[in-house]
Amino acid sequence: MAQPFPYTYYACDCYDSNGTSSTKRASQLLREAEEDERTFDPRSPRANYSLYPLEHLLYCEDCQQVRCPRCIIEETLNWYCPSCLFEVPSSVVKSDGNRCTRSCFSCPLCTSPMQTFSLDTTGESAPPFILECQYCRWSTLEIGIEFEKGQGIAAQLARLGNGGKHIPTNKERDKERERRKEIEGRKARDVLSPSTESTNTDADRDDEPPSHDDLFSNLTAFYKSQVDAQTPSNPFSSHDINFSSPSAYSRIMNLYSTTGSKKNKRSKPSAMREAASSLEGLTLHDPANEAAAIERIKKEGWGVTLSPAQKHAQINPNVRFVDQLRPLATLLCTKRSKRCRSCRQILTKPESKMTSTRYKIKLLALNHIPRLSIRALNATPPIPVASRPADSFDYNALKPGMPSHFLLHLSNPLFDPIKVTLATPSTTPGRVQSRVTILCPQFDVGANTDIWDDALSSSLSPMRRGSQLPDQAPQIEAGKIWDRGRNWTSVAVEIVPGFTDAVGSDGQNELEEDEDVLEIPIFVRIEYETDAGADERGLGDSRGSKGEQEKREEAFWTVVGVGRIKG
Amino acid sequence: MSRPVAKKAAAKGEYIETDSGNKVSRRSAITGTANITLGGRTVIMADVVLRGDLHSTRPTASSSGKEGTPTSISIGKCTVVSTGTVLKPPCRMSRGAPNFYPMKIGDNVFIGPNCVISAIAISSHVHIGANVTIHPFAVIKENVKILPNTVVPSAMVIAPGSVVGGRPARIVGEVGEGWGVSGGGAGGGLGVGGGGEEKWVEGGDLRELVRSIR
Repeated sequence: MAQPFPYTYYACDCYDSNGTSSTKRASQLLREAEEDERTFDPRSPRANYSLYPLEHLLYCEDCQQVRCPRCIIEETLNWYCPSCLFEVPSSVVKSDGNRCTRSCFSCPLCTSPMQTFSLDTTGESAPPFILECQYCRWSTLEIGIEFEKGQGIAAQLARLGNGGKHIPTNKERDKERERRKEIEGRKARDVLSPSTESTNTDADRDDEPPSHDDLFSNLTAFYKSQVDAQTPSNPFSSHDINFSSPSAYSRIMNLYSTTGSKKNKRSKPSAMREAASSLEGLTLHDPANEAAAIERIKKEGWGVTLSPAQKHAQINPNVRFVDQLRPLATLLCTKRSKRCRSCRQILTKPESKMTSTRYKIKLLALNHIPRLSIRALNATPPIPVASRPADSFDYNALKPGMPSHFLLHLSNPLFDPIKVTLATPSTTPGRVQSRVTILCPQFDVGANTDIWDDALSSSLSPMRRGSQLPDQAPQIEAGKIWDRGRNWTSVAVEIVPGFTDAVGSDGQNELEEDEDVLEIPIFVRIEYETDAGADERGLGDSRGSKGEQEKREEAFWTVVGVGRIKG
Repeated sequence: MSRPVAKKAAAKGEYIETDSGNKVSRRSAITGTANITLGGRTVIMADVVLRGDLHSTRPTASSSGKEGTPTSISIGKCTVVSTGTVLKPPCRMSRGAPNFYPMKIGDNVFIGPNCVISAIAISSHVHIGANVTIHPFAVIKENVKILPNTVVPSAMVIAPGSVVGGRPARIVGEVGEGWGVSGGGAGGGLGVGGGGEEKWVEGGDLRELVRSIR
């Protein structure tokens, strides 16, 4: 998701740890030491997977580390349909799959939700019904499907093929398969004793190639029979253990018998064979199908074919033409709780009720690491209002070579004052090299105390001096902060955007996509002293008791997207 | 609950502020004010069109006996409707006559500039970007972010916590757990807060934003 400029991404620590390998060679250690020296490159392919906006990051209080979506484990709490917002029990998910079994469908052409309409013109809702997409006006009429009832569309659709044909149920399929197997068997016998009777009685039903669903059910039935043949008496299958039967008794005794007898018992399993005919689920290639498809495209053009995305969304992978489309049942969503991958502590746990959007547990990085943001110095405070004067800063057109000043704003969510050290490479990585100078890389940020503490303290606390100097706007000075408030400090940054055309001309190759985006990697290191036992007692009474102080330190890379250079 | 017509005699400014803190631009085009309720501290910016006149024409079942004025648009607390946005209650033909349904918008909803909204319900803590079109009878649940230039098709239900975008809108992601949480009451919303004045984030409490608009 591209964010509008300016933005800040936080790099999770997991970006360069290649798994927790136990054996480290000396060369590896050496390389790691080198990596420590190296600065974070937001353009490296790996960085893609570690940069997140602050809202997406969690914080494990046990590990005292930021956790990104890559270093957490998710556990599904429940399943629900995003369209009708009904919770689906996990047993139903197991049996019926991950799609809504009610009446939620999306359009196979444009993915927008479909609605049920009555074709009755009298104004009453009477049959027949259709599903129609209100966005692109595709309807099930185009594939020749009408419904008798307005409810339970999924069940009705499962029985209706395109063009109103009847789709056999699983039971009917089983019966049909048995019937065909019988015919095959008879045919095989007939070859030995040729006779003309009973060969063409079923010809009318055999002419059509089996559908994808038929083949699938044939294949599952075949595999099941193979597995059953392989393990005739599974000692571990609990459902057929009957302690009164002698066979079960001998089986149990076998389990506890010596290895020697086991060896005798266990014969080498014969290899399972694969499906050999379409009755066993083998898909036979039919060149006539291909020829017909080519012929059809010749006649009707590309318009009747599907786009890859549309084809991919269909359940049947062999769908090629628009008249083979089926409405797509809505995919289910999940509510998930998240755990730290290393210590298994729960980081977030939403309330399992569908209607609730609250969380029981939510440990956010927002509340533990400072929020970093940047904006142009002369820009007006960003209120997204169209009536703002036009002098607001255009982040999408930074002028190359022109030094411009930005404000880096750091706000502290912790209840203790922090010492901050910022570091950045003097030129940004990548081919378009911009020069960056943080004018005051070391400063303090006040604690996130209650707003009223600040207001009630009668004397001018040194904390607020900066913002209360009334005389003139602060000056940009190296080594001095720009402004500060209760729990925030801002410092000035001087940026000289690099030249984009220089790269384009001498490098012979054009600028790649987003290479003109000015992104600055900034290393943030914070130090603070906190009550050692505060975490155990909860944050509420951390200030009341005087425990021993503990020094803590946190360091992480951030990437600040300043804007786009336009030369 | 107060209606925007309840004006307070104030100095001529961009906004008329009501007793409950609603700020309604003098340059907005509001029709059928009797059918619109604003929850308080809600901002209606310039060139916003609120079609309060499009209320349900169907005679309501007189179960309550006395019939009040029908509501066509109700907006919750601390909601911001940006410039050039049109709010029009959704309409459905029934028995040959158009029938309008009341539109409900929750608290702390931000609606970006130049949107056309016909949703039947928008829940709280929703952020809608610029130039978004929401077709009739769409339902938008809590904590949803709609990216700019999205077209939400009619009757689409957007589940809580989704990010949607595209034409037609589809779910492109989830908002993070930190959605709407401004870090410990800290300044610096939207990743751009400069002087510490901006104490609001997308999907969070918009009270500070409302306060800053004048």
